[in-house]
Amino acid sequence: MEVQGYNMPEDLYYEENHLWVREEGDLLVLGMDDFAQRMAGDIVYVQLPDEGKRLKKGKKFAKLESGKWLGKAFAPVNGELVEVNEDLEINPGLINEDCYGEGWMYKVKPDDKAELGDLIKGAEAIEKWIAADLEKYAQE
Amino acid sequence: MRDNMEAKYDFERKFRDQVLQCSRCGFCQSVCPVFGATLRPAYNARGKMLLLKEVMDGTLDLNDELIETLFQCTTCGACAENCPSGVEVPEIIKQARKDMVHIGSCHPAFTGMNKVLKEHDNIYAEDEPEDFERERNGKAEYVFFIGCVGSYREDERTTATLDLLDYLEVDYTLIDEVCCSGVLEDVGHPINEKHVRTNIDLIMATGAKTVITGCPYCSRTFNNKKQYAELKEKGVKCIHLSQFLKDIDIGFKTDKKVTYHDPCDLGRHCGIYEEPRDTIRKIAPNFVEMRHHHEKALCCGAGGGVRGAYAANSIAMARRRLEEAEEAGAEVLLTECNSCVHNLANAKLRKQKLKIYTTTEFINLLREED
Repeated sequence: MEVQGYNMPEDLYYEENHLWVREEGDLLVLGMDDFAQRMAGDIVYVQLPDEGKRLKKGKKFAKLESGKWLGKAFAPVNGELVEVNEDLEINPGLINEDCYGEGWMYKVKPDDKAELGDLIKGAEAIEKWIAADLEKYAQE
Repeated sequence: MRDNMEAKYDFERKFRDQVLQCSRCGFCQSVCPVFGATLRPAYNARGKMLLLKEVMDGTLDLNDELIETLFQCTTCGACAENCPSGVEVPEIIKQARKDMVHIGSCHPAFTGMNKVLKEHDNIYAEDEPEDFERERNGKAEYVFFIGCVGSYREDERTTATLDLLDYLEVDYTLIDEVCCSGVLEDVGHPINEKHVRTNIDLIMATGAKTVITGCPYCSRTFNNKKQYAELKEKGVKCIHLSQFLKDIDIGFKTDKKVTYHDPCDLGRHCGIYEEPRDTIRKIAPNFVEMRHHHEKALCCGAGGGVRGAYAANSIAMARRRLEEAEEAGAEVLLTECNSCVHNLANAKLRKQKLKIYTTTEFINLLREED
Protein backbone atom coordinates (compact mmCIF):
# COMPACT_ATOMS: atom_id res chain seq x y z
CA MET A 1 0.00 0.00 0.00
CA GLU A 2 1.03 3.61 -0.42
CA VAL A 3 1.50 5.73 2.66
CA GLN A 4 2.09 9.39 1.89
CA GLY A 5 3.84 8.43 -1.31
CA TYR A 6 5.93 5.61 0.17
CA ASN A 7 5.43 2.00 -0.87
CA MET A 8 4.89 0.05 2.35
CA PRO A 9 3.42 -3.43 1.61
CA GLU A 10 0.78 -4.32 4.16
CA ASP A 11 1.64 -7.98 4.34
CA LEU A 12 5.10 -7.36 5.79
CA TYR A 13 6.20 -6.82 9.36
CA TYR A 14 8.32 -3.74 10.07
CA GLU A 15 10.98 -3.02 12.65
CA GLU A 16 10.72 0.60 13.81
CA ASN A 17 14.12 1.55 12.36
CA HIS A 18 12.81 0.64 8.92
CA LEU A 19 13.73 -2.95 8.28
CA TRP A 20 10.93 -4.98 6.72
CA VAL A 21 10.49 -8.62 7.71
CA ARG A 22 8.89 -11.40 5.66
CA GLU A 23 8.35 -15.01 6.66
CA GLU A 24 9.90 -17.57 4.33
CA GLY A 25 9.32 -21.06 5.74
CA ASP A 26 11.28 -21.26 8.97
CA LEU A 27 13.32 -18.22 8.17
CA LEU A 28 12.74 -14.49 8.15
CA VAL A 29 13.91 -12.33 5.25
CA LEU A 30 14.94 -8.78 6.13
CA GLY A 31 15.45 -5.68 4.02
CA MET A 32 15.27 -1.93 4.06
CA ASP A 33 11.87 -0.38 3.42
CA ASP A 34 10.97 2.21 0.80
CA PHE A 35 10.74 5.07 3.30
CA ALA A 36 14.29 4.48 4.50
CA GLN A 37 15.86 3.84 1.12
CA ARG A 38 14.44 7.08 -0.23
CA MET A 39 15.58 9.05 2.81
CA ALA A 40 19.04 7.52 2.59
CA GLY A 41 19.70 8.10 -1.09
CA ASP A 42 22.00 5.88 -3.12
CA ILE A 43 23.29 3.08 -0.90
CA VAL A 44 27.03 2.65 -1.43
CA TYR A 45 27.93 0.07 1.19
CA VAL A 46 26.12 -2.65 3.10
CA GLN A 47 27.85 -4.57 5.85
CA LEU A 48 27.31 -8.30 5.36
CA PRO A 49 28.31 -10.06 8.60
CA ASP A 50 29.38 -13.70 8.66
CA GLU A 51 26.73 -16.38 8.70
CA GLY A 52 26.21 -17.73 12.18
CA LYS A 53 26.27 -14.31 13.81
CA ARG A 54 23.89 -14.11 16.75
CA LEU A 55 21.29 -11.39 16.55
CA LYS A 56 19.99 -9.82 19.73
CA LYS A 57 16.58 -8.21 19.44
CA GLY A 58 16.84 -4.41 19.39
CA LYS A 59 20.61 -4.40 18.99
CA LYS A 60 22.54 -3.14 15.97
CA PHE A 61 23.98 -6.00 13.93
CA ALA A 62 25.13 -4.32 10.73
CA LYS A 63 25.69 -0.93 9.22
CA LEU A 64 25.13 0.57 5.82
CA GLU A 65 26.01 3.81 4.14
CA SER A 66 24.73 6.14 1.51
CA GLY A 67 26.72 9.13 0.30
CA LYS A 68 25.51 11.25 3.20
CA TRP A 69 24.25 8.85 5.83
CA LEU A 70 25.41 6.06 8.07
CA GLY A 71 22.59 3.73 8.96
CA LYS A 72 22.28 0.85 11.35
CA ALA A 73 20.38 -2.38 10.98
CA PHE A 74 18.71 -3.36 14.25
CA ALA A 75 17.71 -6.95 14.88
CA PRO A 76 13.91 -7.26 14.87
CA VAL A 77 14.04 -10.59 16.71
CA ASN A 78 16.50 -12.79 18.57
CA GLY A 79 18.06 -15.32 16.23
CA GLU A 80 20.93 -16.33 14.01
CA LEU A 81 22.02 -14.81 10.73
CA VAL A 82 21.98 -17.66 8.20
CA GLU A 83 22.31 -15.97 4.85
CA VAL A 84 23.17 -12.60 3.35
CA ASN A 85 22.46 -11.22 -0.10
CA GLU A 86 25.93 -11.35 -1.61
CA ASP A 87 24.75 -9.43 -4.69
CA LEU A 88 24.76 -6.35 -2.47
CA GLU A 89 28.52 -6.57 -2.17
CA ILE A 90 29.04 -5.45 -5.75
CA ASN A 91 25.67 -3.81 -6.26
CA PRO A 92 24.42 -2.16 -3.06
CA GLY A 93 22.15 -0.03 -5.27
CA LEU A 94 19.78 -3.01 -5.52
CA ILE A 95 18.36 -1.75 -2.25
CA ASN A 96 17.30 1.47 -3.98
CA GLU A 97 16.14 -0.27 -7.15
CA ASP A 98 14.08 -3.07 -5.61
CA CYS A 99 14.11 -2.89 -1.84
CA TYR A 100 11.45 -5.58 -1.34
CA GLY A 101 12.72 -7.97 -4.02
CA GLU A 102 16.29 -8.22 -5.35
CA GLY A 103 17.48 -5.79 -2.66
CA TRP A 104 16.72 -8.15 0.24
CA MET A 105 19.53 -8.03 2.76
CA TYR A 106 19.57 -10.75 5.39
CA LYS A 107 17.95 -14.09 6.27
CA VAL A 108 17.55 -14.94 9.91
CA LYS A 109 16.57 -18.10 11.77
CA PRO A 110 14.49 -16.73 14.62
CA ASP A 111 14.66 -18.23 18.12
CA ASP A 112 10.93 -17.68 18.52
CA LYS A 113 8.62 -16.57 15.72
CA ALA A 114 6.20 -15.24 18.31
CA GLU A 115 8.50 -12.20 18.60
CA LEU A 116 7.07 -11.08 15.26
CA GLY A 117 4.07 -10.01 17.28
CA ASP A 118 6.14 -7.13 18.70
CA LEU A 119 6.72 -5.66 15.25
CA ILE A 120 4.61 -3.16 13.31
CA LYS A 121 1.96 -4.90 11.22
CA GLY A 122 -1.17 -3.93 9.31
CA ALA A 123 -2.31 -0.85 7.45
CA GLU A 124 -3.36 1.19 10.46
CA ALA A 125 -0.17 0.64 12.40
CA ILE A 126 1.98 1.33 9.34
CA GLU A 127 0.20 4.59 8.57
CA LYS A 128 0.53 5.83 12.13
CA TRP A 129 4.21 4.94 12.27
CA ILE A 130 5.12 6.58 8.96
CA ALA A 131 3.15 9.73 9.84
CA ALA A 132 5.05 9.97 13.14
CA ASP A 133 8.41 9.48 11.44
CA LEU A 134 7.64 12.09 8.78
CA GLU A 135 6.87 14.57 11.53
CA LYS A 136 10.05 13.66 13.36
CA TYR A 137 12.19 14.19 10.27
CA ALA A 138 10.41 17.41 9.39
CA GLN A 139 11.40 18.81 12.78
CA GLU A 140 15.06 17.80 12.52
CA MET B 1 43.96 31.68 -29.41
CA ARG B 2 43.60 34.05 -26.49
CA ASP B 3 46.81 35.28 -24.93
CA ASN B 4 47.52 35.53 -21.25
CA MET B 5 46.28 39.12 -20.99
CA GLU B 6 42.78 37.84 -21.67
CA ALA B 7 42.84 34.95 -19.18
CA LYS B 8 39.24 34.37 -18.22
CA TYR B 9 39.85 32.12 -15.26
CA ASP B 10 42.28 32.01 -12.34
CA PHE B 11 43.52 28.55 -13.26
CA GLU B 12 44.79 30.05 -16.49
CA ARG B 13 46.30 33.07 -14.77
CA LYS B 14 48.18 30.90 -12.32
CA PHE B 15 48.91 27.75 -14.30
CA ARG B 16 48.79 28.55 -18.01
CA ASP B 17 52.41 27.57 -18.57
CA GLN B 18 51.94 24.29 -16.78
CA VAL B 19 48.87 23.36 -18.77
CA LEU B 20 50.86 24.08 -21.93
CA GLN B 21 53.76 22.02 -20.58
CA CYS B 22 51.68 18.86 -20.75
CA SER B 23 53.18 16.92 -23.62
CA ARG B 24 50.27 14.45 -23.84
CA CYS B 25 52.66 11.61 -23.10
CA GLY B 26 50.12 9.76 -20.98
CA PHE B 27 52.56 8.60 -18.29
CA CYS B 28 49.96 9.90 -15.84
CA GLN B 29 47.36 7.54 -17.24
CA SER B 30 49.32 4.51 -16.12
CA VAL B 31 49.24 5.60 -12.47
CA CYS B 32 45.88 7.39 -12.19
CA PRO B 33 43.53 5.54 -9.83
CA VAL B 34 40.40 7.06 -11.38
CA PHE B 35 41.49 6.06 -14.89
CA GLY B 36 42.47 2.64 -13.58
CA ALA B 37 38.96 2.07 -12.26
CA THR B 38 36.95 3.72 -15.04
CA LEU B 39 39.18 3.63 -18.17
CA ARG B 40 37.79 7.08 -19.06
CA PRO B 41 40.58 9.30 -20.49
CA ALA B 42 38.75 12.49 -19.53
CA TYR B 43 39.08 11.52 -15.87
CA ASN B 44 42.85 11.25 -16.08
CA ALA B 45 45.33 14.14 -15.87
CA ARG B 46 46.16 14.14 -19.57
CA GLY B 47 42.49 14.33 -20.45
CA LYS B 48 41.96 17.11 -17.93
CA MET B 49 44.90 19.11 -19.30
CA LEU B 50 43.58 18.69 -22.85
CA LEU B 51 40.18 19.99 -21.80
CA LEU B 52 41.64 22.89 -19.82
CA LYS B 53 43.72 23.86 -22.84
CA GLU B 54 40.51 23.96 -24.87
CA VAL B 55 39.09 26.31 -22.22
CA MET B 56 42.20 28.49 -22.44
CA ASP B 57 41.90 28.54 -26.22
CA GLY B 58 38.29 29.62 -25.97
CA THR B 59 36.96 26.61 -27.88
CA LEU B 60 35.34 25.25 -24.73
CA ASP B 61 34.00 27.03 -21.68
CA LEU B 62 33.85 25.88 -18.07
CA ASN B 63 30.35 24.55 -17.59
CA ASP B 64 28.34 21.77 -15.96
CA GLU B 65 29.51 19.26 -18.56
CA LEU B 66 32.99 19.49 -17.09
CA ILE B 67 31.85 18.65 -13.56
CA GLU B 68 32.48 14.92 -14.00
CA THR B 69 36.01 15.38 -15.22
CA LEU B 70 37.08 18.18 -12.91
CA PHE B 71 35.49 16.91 -9.71
CA GLN B 72 36.26 13.23 -10.13
CA CYS B 73 39.86 13.35 -9.00
CA THR B 74 41.22 12.21 -5.67
CA THR B 75 44.08 14.74 -5.95
CA CYS B 76 46.34 11.83 -5.06
CA GLY B 77 49.27 13.38 -6.95
CA ALA B 78 50.41 10.18 -8.64
CA CYS B 79 50.16 11.98 -11.99
CA ALA B 80 52.44 14.80 -10.87
CA GLU B 81 54.83 12.29 -9.32
CA ASN B 82 55.05 10.50 -12.64
CA CYS B 83 55.01 13.49 -15.00
CA PRO B 84 58.22 14.01 -16.99
CA SER B 85 57.10 17.55 -17.82
CA GLY B 86 56.63 18.65 -14.22
CA VAL B 87 52.93 19.48 -14.46
CA GLU B 88 51.47 19.98 -10.96
CA VAL B 89 48.08 18.57 -11.84
CA PRO B 90 46.43 18.53 -8.38
CA GLU B 91 47.07 22.26 -7.90
CA ILE B 92 45.67 23.05 -11.33
CA ILE B 93 42.59 20.90 -10.68
CA LYS B 94 41.93 22.56 -7.32
CA GLN B 95 42.13 26.00 -8.90
CA ALA B 96 39.93 24.98 -11.82
CA ARG B 97 37.38 23.74 -9.27
CA LYS B 98 37.41 27.17 -7.62
CA ASP B 99 36.78 28.73 -11.02
CA MET B 100 33.90 26.31 -11.59
CA VAL B 101 32.32 27.14 -8.24
CA HIS B 102 32.78 30.83 -8.99
CA ILE B 103 30.63 30.49 -12.11
CA GLY B 104 28.08 28.43 -10.21
CA SER B 105 29.09 25.03 -11.53
CA CYS B 106 29.90 22.43 -8.90
CA HIS B 107 29.19 18.83 -8.07
CA PRO B 108 26.11 18.85 -5.82
CA ALA B 109 27.90 16.75 -3.20
CA PHE B 110 30.40 19.56 -2.65
CA THR B 111 27.85 22.34 -2.76
CA GLY B 112 26.09 20.23 -0.18
CA MET B 113 29.25 19.74 1.88
CA ASN B 114 29.90 23.47 1.96
CA LYS B 115 26.34 24.06 3.16
CA VAL B 116 26.57 21.28 5.74
CA LEU B 117 29.72 22.82 7.21
CA LYS B 118 27.99 26.17 7.49
CA GLU B 119 25.24 24.59 9.58
CA HIS B 120 27.09 21.79 11.36
CA ASP B 121 30.52 21.19 12.76
CA ASN B 122 31.34 18.08 10.71
CA ILE B 123 31.01 16.94 7.11
CA TYR B 124 28.30 14.40 7.91
CA ALA B 125 25.81 16.83 9.49
CA GLU B 126 25.80 14.64 12.57
CA ASP B 127 24.78 16.42 15.73
CA GLU B 128 25.93 13.96 18.35
CA PRO B 129 29.64 13.18 18.39
CA GLU B 130 30.71 9.83 19.72
CA ASP B 131 31.46 10.14 23.40
CA PHE B 132 34.72 8.13 23.56
CA GLU B 133 34.29 8.45 27.33
CA ARG B 134 37.32 10.65 27.61
CA GLU B 135 37.94 14.13 28.88
CA ARG B 136 37.52 16.91 26.40
CA ASN B 137 39.04 20.41 26.62
CA GLY B 138 41.27 19.59 29.57
CA LYS B 139 44.85 20.73 30.13
CA ALA B 140 47.47 18.39 28.69
CA GLU B 141 50.78 18.15 26.87
CA TYR B 142 49.08 16.93 23.70
CA VAL B 143 45.79 17.46 21.96
CA PHE B 144 44.59 14.40 20.07
CA PHE B 145 42.57 15.65 17.10
CA ILE B 146 40.44 12.85 15.68
CA GLY B 147 38.93 14.28 12.47
CA CYS B 148 35.46 13.78 11.02
CA VAL B 149 35.92 10.25 9.63
CA GLY B 150 37.44 8.97 12.84
CA SER B 151 34.72 10.59 14.93
CA TYR B 152 31.66 9.66 12.91
CA ARG B 153 32.48 6.75 10.63
CA GLU B 154 35.27 4.82 12.33
CA ASP B 155 34.58 5.42 16.00
CA GLU B 156 35.48 1.86 17.01
CA ARG B 157 38.92 2.20 15.46
CA THR B 158 39.33 5.59 17.13
CA THR B 159 38.45 4.02 20.47
CA ALA B 160 41.20 1.45 19.89
CA THR B 161 43.69 4.23 19.14
CA LEU B 162 42.70 6.08 22.30
CA ASP B 163 42.97 2.85 24.31
CA LEU B 164 46.52 2.50 23.04
CA LEU B 165 47.40 6.09 23.88
CA ASP B 166 46.03 5.51 27.38
CA TYR B 167 48.13 2.35 27.73
CA LEU B 168 51.20 4.33 26.62
CA GLU B 169 50.29 6.92 29.28
CA VAL B 170 50.32 9.76 26.81
CA ASP B 171 49.23 12.98 28.45
CA TYR B 172 46.57 14.04 25.97
CA THR B 173 43.18 15.61 25.89
CA LEU B 174 40.47 15.51 23.25
CA ILE B 175 38.74 18.76 22.36
CA ASP B 176 35.23 19.58 21.20
CA GLU B 177 36.73 19.59 17.75
CA VAL B 178 35.01 20.73 14.62
CA CYS B 179 35.90 19.86 11.06
CA CYS B 180 39.34 21.19 10.14
CA SER B 181 37.50 22.12 6.92
CA GLY B 182 40.62 21.75 4.80
CA VAL B 183 38.67 19.63 2.35
CA LEU B 184 36.56 22.60 1.25
CA GLU B 185 39.48 24.31 -0.46
CA ASP B 186 40.16 21.16 -2.43
CA VAL B 187 36.67 21.11 -3.88
CA GLY B 188 36.39 24.71 -4.93
CA HIS B 189 35.08 26.34 -1.77
CA PRO B 190 36.78 28.55 0.82
CA ILE B 191 37.90 27.13 4.14
CA ASN B 192 35.33 27.62 6.91
CA GLU B 193 36.87 30.41 8.98
CA LYS B 194 34.45 29.90 11.87
CA HIS B 195 35.54 26.29 12.26
CA VAL B 196 39.19 27.29 11.99
CA ARG B 197 38.71 29.79 14.81
CA THR B 198 36.90 27.25 16.99
CA ASN B 199 39.69 24.69 16.57
CA ILE B 200 42.48 27.18 17.21
CA ASP B 201 40.79 28.55 20.33
CA LEU B 202 40.09 25.08 21.72
CA ILE B 203 43.67 23.92 21.05
CA MET B 204 45.20 27.02 22.65
CA ALA B 205 43.00 26.69 25.71
CA THR B 206 44.45 23.27 26.52
CA GLY B 207 47.97 24.64 26.91
CA ALA B 208 49.22 21.79 24.71
CA LYS B 209 52.38 22.35 22.70
CA THR B 210 51.67 19.58 20.22
CA VAL B 211 48.58 18.48 18.33
CA ILE B 212 48.59 14.85 17.24
CA THR B 213 46.11 14.07 14.49
CA GLY B 214 44.70 10.70 13.60
CA CYS B 215 44.03 11.98 10.10
CA PRO B 216 46.86 13.05 7.78
CA TYR B 217 44.50 15.38 5.97
CA CYS B 218 43.90 17.31 9.20
CA SER B 219 47.61 17.55 9.94
CA ARG B 220 48.24 18.82 6.40
CA THR B 221 45.50 21.39 6.89
CA PHE B 222 46.88 22.58 10.22
CA ASN B 223 50.42 22.79 8.83
CA ASN B 224 49.81 24.23 5.39
CA LYS B 225 46.73 26.41 5.43
CA LYS B 226 47.48 30.04 6.23
CA GLN B 227 44.29 30.26 8.28
CA TYR B 228 45.91 27.89 10.81
CA ALA B 229 49.27 29.72 10.84
CA GLU B 230 48.44 31.13 14.26
CA LEU B 231 49.12 27.71 15.78
CA LYS B 232 52.70 27.72 14.56
CA GLU B 233 53.12 31.37 15.49
CA LYS B 234 52.10 30.52 19.04
CA GLY B 235 54.53 27.62 19.23
CA VAL B 236 52.08 24.75 18.73
CA LYS B 237 53.37 21.90 16.59
CA CYS B 238 51.06 19.64 14.57
CA ILE B 239 52.11 16.11 13.78
CA HIS B 240 50.48 12.97 12.53
CA LEU B 241 50.06 9.96 14.82
CA SER B 242 52.62 7.91 12.88
CA GLN B 243 55.26 10.59 13.54
CA PHE B 244 54.43 10.51 17.24
CA LEU B 245 54.67 6.72 17.48
CA LYS B 246 57.92 6.39 15.59
CA ASP B 247 60.25 6.47 18.57
CA ILE B 248 58.04 4.62 21.00
CA ASP B 249 58.97 1.06 21.87
CA ILE B 250 55.63 -0.67 21.56
CA GLY B 251 56.76 -4.13 22.60
CA PHE B 252 54.03 -6.26 21.02
CA LYS B 253 54.71 -8.58 18.12
CA THR B 254 52.98 -10.62 15.47
CA ASP B 255 54.31 -13.15 13.01
CA LYS B 256 51.55 -12.39 10.54
CA LYS B 257 52.49 -11.14 7.10
CA VAL B 258 51.72 -7.45 7.25
CA THR B 259 51.70 -4.79 4.57
CA TYR B 260 51.30 -1.03 4.74
CA HIS B 261 49.22 1.29 2.58
CA ASP B 262 50.71 4.78 2.17
CA PRO B 263 47.87 7.31 2.47
CA CYS B 264 48.34 9.94 -0.26
CA ASP B 265 47.96 12.72 2.31
CA LEU B 266 50.78 11.30 4.41
CA GLY B 267 53.03 9.90 1.71
CA ARG B 268 53.12 11.78 -1.57
CA HIS B 269 51.79 15.02 -0.07
CA CYS B 270 53.97 15.10 3.08
CA GLY B 271 56.85 12.78 2.33
CA ILE B 272 56.15 10.69 5.44
CA TYR B 273 56.94 7.12 4.39
CA GLU B 274 59.43 5.69 6.87
CA GLU B 275 57.95 6.63 10.24
CA PRO B 276 54.88 4.41 9.83
CA ARG B 277 57.11 1.58 8.56
CA ASP B 278 59.52 1.95 11.48
CA THR B 279 56.66 1.28 13.88
CA ILE B 280 55.21 -1.57 11.84
CA ARG B 281 58.55 -3.33 11.38
CA LYS B 282 59.04 -3.31 15.15
CA ILE B 283 55.78 -5.18 15.69
CA ALA B 284 55.68 -7.21 12.48
CA PRO B 285 59.04 -8.52 11.32
CA ASN B 286 57.24 -10.33 8.49
CA PHE B 287 56.57 -7.09 6.63
CA VAL B 288 55.98 -6.99 2.87
CA GLU B 289 55.49 -4.13 0.46
CA MET B 290 52.71 -4.04 -2.10
CA ARG B 291 53.59 -3.69 -5.77
CA HIS B 292 53.13 0.10 -5.57
CA HIS B 293 54.48 1.69 -2.43
CA HIS B 294 56.12 4.86 -1.10
CA GLU B 295 55.74 7.63 -3.67
CA LYS B 296 54.30 5.14 -6.16
CA ALA B 297 51.53 4.00 -3.81
CA LEU B 298 48.13 3.45 -5.41
CA CYS B 299 45.49 5.78 -4.03
CA CYS B 300 42.65 4.12 -2.10
CA GLY B 301 40.12 6.29 -3.95
CA ALA B 302 38.63 8.16 -1.00
CA GLY B 303 40.39 11.51 -1.23
CA GLY B 304 39.62 14.84 -2.86
CA GLY B 305 35.95 14.40 -1.98
CA VAL B 306 35.58 11.46 -4.35
CA ARG B 307 34.17 9.07 -1.73
CA GLY B 308 31.33 11.50 -1.11
CA ALA B 309 30.61 12.38 -4.74
CA TYR B 310 31.51 9.22 -6.67
CA ALA B 311 31.22 6.50 -4.08
CA ALA B 312 30.92 3.55 -6.48
CA ASN B 313 34.11 4.50 -8.33
CA SER B 314 35.80 5.32 -5.05
CA ILE B 315 35.14 1.81 -3.78
CA ALA B 316 36.22 0.35 -7.13
CA MET B 317 39.57 2.12 -6.69
CA ALA B 318 39.90 0.70 -3.20
CA ARG B 319 39.26 -2.79 -4.59
CA ARG B 320 42.21 -2.38 -6.95
CA ARG B 321 44.41 -1.50 -3.98
CA LEU B 322 43.22 -4.55 -2.06
CA GLU B 323 44.15 -6.75 -5.03
CA GLU B 324 47.71 -5.52 -4.57
CA ALA B 325 47.62 -6.47 -0.90
CA GLU B 326 46.43 -9.95 -1.83
CA GLU B 327 49.07 -10.21 -4.53
CA ALA B 328 51.73 -9.44 -1.90
CA GLY B 329 50.37 -12.31 0.19
CA ALA B 330 49.52 -10.03 3.10
CA GLU B 331 47.29 -11.31 5.89
CA VAL B 332 46.99 -7.86 7.41
CA LEU B 333 46.87 -4.45 5.76
CA LEU B 334 47.69 -1.46 7.93
CA THR B 335 47.37 2.23 7.30
CA GLU B 336 47.04 5.27 9.52
CA CYS B 337 44.36 7.31 7.82
CA ASN B 338 40.70 6.88 8.72
CA SER B 339 39.52 7.83 5.23
CA CYS B 340 41.71 5.16 3.68
CA VAL B 341 40.81 2.47 6.20
CA HIS B 342 37.10 3.29 5.83
CA ASN B 343 37.14 3.02 2.05
CA LEU B 344 39.35 -0.07 2.00
CA ALA B 345 37.24 -1.83 4.64
CA ASN B 346 34.04 -1.02 2.75
CA ALA B 347 35.58 -2.33 -0.46
CA LYS B 348 36.85 -5.61 0.95
CA LEU B 349 34.94 -8.56 -0.42
CA ARG B 350 33.73 -11.30 1.91
CA LYS B 351 35.84 -13.88 0.16
CA GLN B 352 39.00 -11.85 0.86
CA LYS B 353 40.54 -13.10 4.08
CA LEU B 354 42.80 -10.08 4.47
CA LYS B 355 42.22 -8.05 7.64
CA ILE B 356 42.35 -4.28 7.53
CA TYR B 357 43.24 -2.08 10.48
CA THR B 358 44.74 1.24 11.35
CA THR B 359 48.24 0.67 12.73
CA THR B 360 47.27 1.81 16.21
CA GLU B 361 44.13 -0.31 16.17
CA PHE B 362 46.22 -3.36 15.28
CA ILE B 363 48.79 -2.66 17.97
CA ASN B 364 45.97 -2.29 20.48
CA LEU B 365 44.56 -5.63 19.33
CA LEU B 366 47.94 -7.29 19.92
CA ARG B 367 48.03 -5.67 23.35
CA GLU B 368 44.59 -7.05 24.20
CA GLU B 369 45.56 -10.52 23.02
CA ASP B 370 48.73 -10.45 25.08
